[in-house]
Amino acid sequence: MEIKSMHFKANASAKLADVVLQRNLKSSKGKFVAKRAEAIKDLDDFEGTRDAAAAIRNKVIDNLDLWLERFERKALDTGAKVLWAKDGAEVCRLVVEIARKHGVTKVTKSKSMLSEEAGLNHALEAAGIQPVETDLGEYILQVDNNEPPSHIIAPAVHKSLDDVADLFHKVHGTPRKTDIPALTREAREVLRGHFLSAGMGLSGGNFLVAETGSVALVTNEGNGRMVTTIPKVHVVITGIEKVIPTLEDLSTLMRLLPRSATGQSISNYFSILTGVKKPEEHDGPEHLYFVLVDSGRADVVGGDFHEMLRCIRCGACMNHCPVYQTIGGHAYGWVYPGPMGSVLTPLYAGIENAIDLPHAATLCNQCGVVCPVKIPLPDLLRKLREKQTERGLRPLTERIGLRLWAWVAQQPRLYALGASVGARYLKWLAGDTDRIRLLPTAPEWSLGRDFPAPQGKTFRELYAARQTRTKEST
Amino acid sequence: MRIGLFVTCLVDLMRPRIGFATLKLLESAGCEVIVPETQTCCGQPAWNSGDAPGAVALAKKTIAEFEGFDYVVSPSGSCGDQIRTEYPGMFAEEPEWRDRATALASRTYELTDFLVTVLKVDSVPGDYEGTVTYHDSCSGLRSMGIKKQPRALLAKLKGVTLKEMNGCEECCGFGGTFSVKFGEVSAAIAERKCDNILASGAHAVVGGDLGCLLNIEGKLRRMGDETTQVLHVAEVLAGRV
Amino acid sequence: MSSRDDILGRVRAGLQRNASNATIARDEMLAALTNCSQGPKPGIDAEPKALLERFRLKSELQSSTVDIVAHESDAPAAVARYLAAMNLPKSAVAQPALAALDWAGAGLTVEARGARDADLVGITGCFCAVAETGTLMMCSSPDTPAAVSLLPETHVAIVRASRILPYMEDAWALARKELGTLPRAVNFISGPSRTGDIEQTIVLGAHGPYRVHLVIVAD
Repeated sequence: MEIKSMHFKANASAKLADVVLQRNLKSSKGKFVAKRAEAIKDLDDFEGTRDAAAAIRNKVIDNLDLWLERFERKALDTGAKVLWAKDGAEVCRLVVEIARKHGVTKVTKSKSMLSEEAGLNHALEAAGIQPVETDLGEYILQVDNNEPPSHIIAPAVHKSLDDVADLFHKVHGTPRKTDIPALTREAREVLRGHFLSAGMGLSGGNFLVAETGSVALVTNEGNGRMVTTIPKVHVVITGIEKVIPTLEDLSTLMRLLPRSATGQSISNYFSILTGVKKPEEHDGPEHLYFVLVDSGRADVVGGDFHEMLRCIRCGACMNHCPVYQTIGGHAYGWVYPGPMGSVLTPLYAGIENAIDLPHAATLCNQCGVVCPVKIPLPDLLRKLREKQTERGLRPLTERIGLRLWAWVAQQPRLYALGASVGARYLKWLAGDTDRIRLLPTAPEWSLGRDFPAPQGKTFRELYAARQTRTKEST
Repeated sequence: MRIGLFVTCLVDLMRPRIGFATLKLLESAGCEVIVPETQTCCGQPAWNSGDAPGAVALAKKTIAEFEGFDYVVSPSGSCGDQIRTEYPGMFAEEPEWRDRATALASRTYELTDFLVTVLKVDSVPGDYEGTVTYHDSCSGLRSMGIKKQPRALLAKLKGVTLKEMNGCEECCGFGGTFSVKFGEVSAAIAERKCDNILASGAHAVVGGDLGCLLNIEGKLRRMGDETTQVLHVAEVLAGRV
Repeated sequence: MSSRDDILGRVRAGLQRNASNATIARDEMLAALTNCSQGPKPGIDAEPKALLERFRLKSELQSSTVDIVAHESDAPAAVARYLAAMNLPKSAVAQPALAALDWAGAGLTVEARGARDADLVGITGCFCAVAETGTLMMCSSPDTPAAVSLLPETHVAIVRASRILPYMEDAWALARKELGTLPRAVNFISGPSRTGDIEQTIVLGAHGPYRVHLVIVAD
């Protein structure tokens, strides 16, 4: 997918001015948050479960080479084929090759963020193969001129009922409906035809189980089951970091993933798929391919951002992020929005291609406290800021300003002088009012708010005066 | 017991009365309070902006200034958190400094936490009368566990009624340099916070971090609200200084 | 160099892999795979009656409906009652594993086979059920094809009360004991198919069944 993260700030402004989006964000904000808060209550030991989940993910990523080899061996034993892709281009090439080999002209897809990373739909279309997104949210976006998703769990969360009503009326040529069940039924009927006629099903993978060589898939709609049950060929596209050890570990992670994502105690469908259909079976794919994708992940292993590989893509960090709640997902400019996206985008798409993202956070740590695998997201954002500074990627004025300030702050006398001049200057700006309308030193502040006037003298000045008075009086 | 008061650069520049309120609260609880003259800033702006060397230099300066006290107290969860949570991790390559940072961290407290947890005060001198709503600042709340402490202290004031707002734990959008790098987004987040404050109907919004309070006051006034007071918890608890 | 070798090579470099740490890590991996240790689980009363009650309650929270009958031979009549009450067709596809039940005796036309798009009602058994979340565990096999619980608009599942287990972990243990290796598809089903993709409003019947009815056999 084309990366537009360099335009974050302009994107964010546009999103703030988008009346429809702001209304949609306002009505969706809080729903995920409230549902999650309710759902975690029935785990007696929620914190202990988070610790266990983090430990499970660490176990694998700390020895990822061995776990990958183990998974590969088990998957091969089950009759699956295992392919490896260094980048998005290789993902596209491999998937097109598989489709051609099996004479496939239509592919039904369950949600796969890696397919978004790779721009797979575009590559399939270019090869004359029709990709059909079957997650309702993804389908809505695909028929709306391939709009990118704005959320990893709820891709069309930025769209309102009216948006969808207009869209379906236009693309399906049916009478306009404003009833959500009727719209859902309409999509179901269109997509059922595709499920039955596609030669290949394509899915992501929530987890790869090393014990059994299986892929675990979580869906509510049942589209994940459709694309892995009906077509002759099933292709799983998933990141190399998605391996977990055992089925028991799967159970632990499943106590957290749906709760963190949508506030459900479990998703409606949780499928563990192992190998291919046996000759006497009625359904299931005859061919199963795993495409294990690097796309930047291997280089994160063992480095400063290693902990990010624990991520299980639940979306809780963005649901709880004040910045995401305010501007939505598109402003982030790539596949992954919110805090996890602000870490992943620089890592996978290039730190120089996403200069704003690590700074697009208040570091409030709401993301860190809801993360089911305890990724210290604010720390990682801060480390990315450090990397930017080290590589000289921040604006020169900002770097000089910071350096100068840090230097002055190490010279107490100079600092004290600067502070008392500053306090008086700000007081002068406020005049005889209690506020400054336009702050010349930081005009961004004044875009949407005033700056309260200071008292006029610094604490250290007033305190020194008080100490003198105290001495004189004794 | 000897307390080193870490005033914070924002209080020094903008609201000295919060510093004096802090002094009054500690002194009226029987503490000997010293204000090291050479203190400037804990270094958090540098640390959060990616200037690690600048932040480390300021951390060393602060450690040297404050390690001689029994406790370090600050009227800020944000600066307190910088010393308590961040300092020890800054010195991976300098074990001597790491030990000094760790020792200081364990003796560093946010003001309300110190009054409740260490001093276990029975009463506070304030005389505020009215309904207040409390904004939980992010670092204090999520890193230092400041939640019940300010509420317990406010409950000791007869004239104060606490009326919780919706989303009291949500970020106000300040975020330090975030507020001047992404002013529009920051102000939009602040607007949600202010809507909640106004909906609570409280006479005053009270908090423990001046950064958040400046942000909230600036937004309330720009929104046309001229009546809601924006107060630091130390001011409310200390009364006249 | 193949992509596989390139990727694994960079992973090994990142982990500073060498012969001695590989040996230690391999031992830890084998231990993890052998021990299959479990994480914290919410407390559940494992007494059979309480399990059944919890399973029923949780299933209903997942928008399934529940009926309880005394014997397996009562199941066809219970299915017929449900279909009649819901105004649903009296013909259905059932998994071959259920072919021996007396469907005709209950007034139903049931074909035991894999599912087709035109099937409106699908009847299945289940491998076991999980009380923690109100979940069915379905294991695919020639006798228990997966699509029967997926393609029809109505899914009726017969659940033996003795197969209701507290946790998913217990289901894995049972599968290892009775099946040895995992079947092609294990599907955990918790209520009807649903979506919240339009304005986060939950709608039942996204791609799979609109309704799931459970007939629990108390035996």
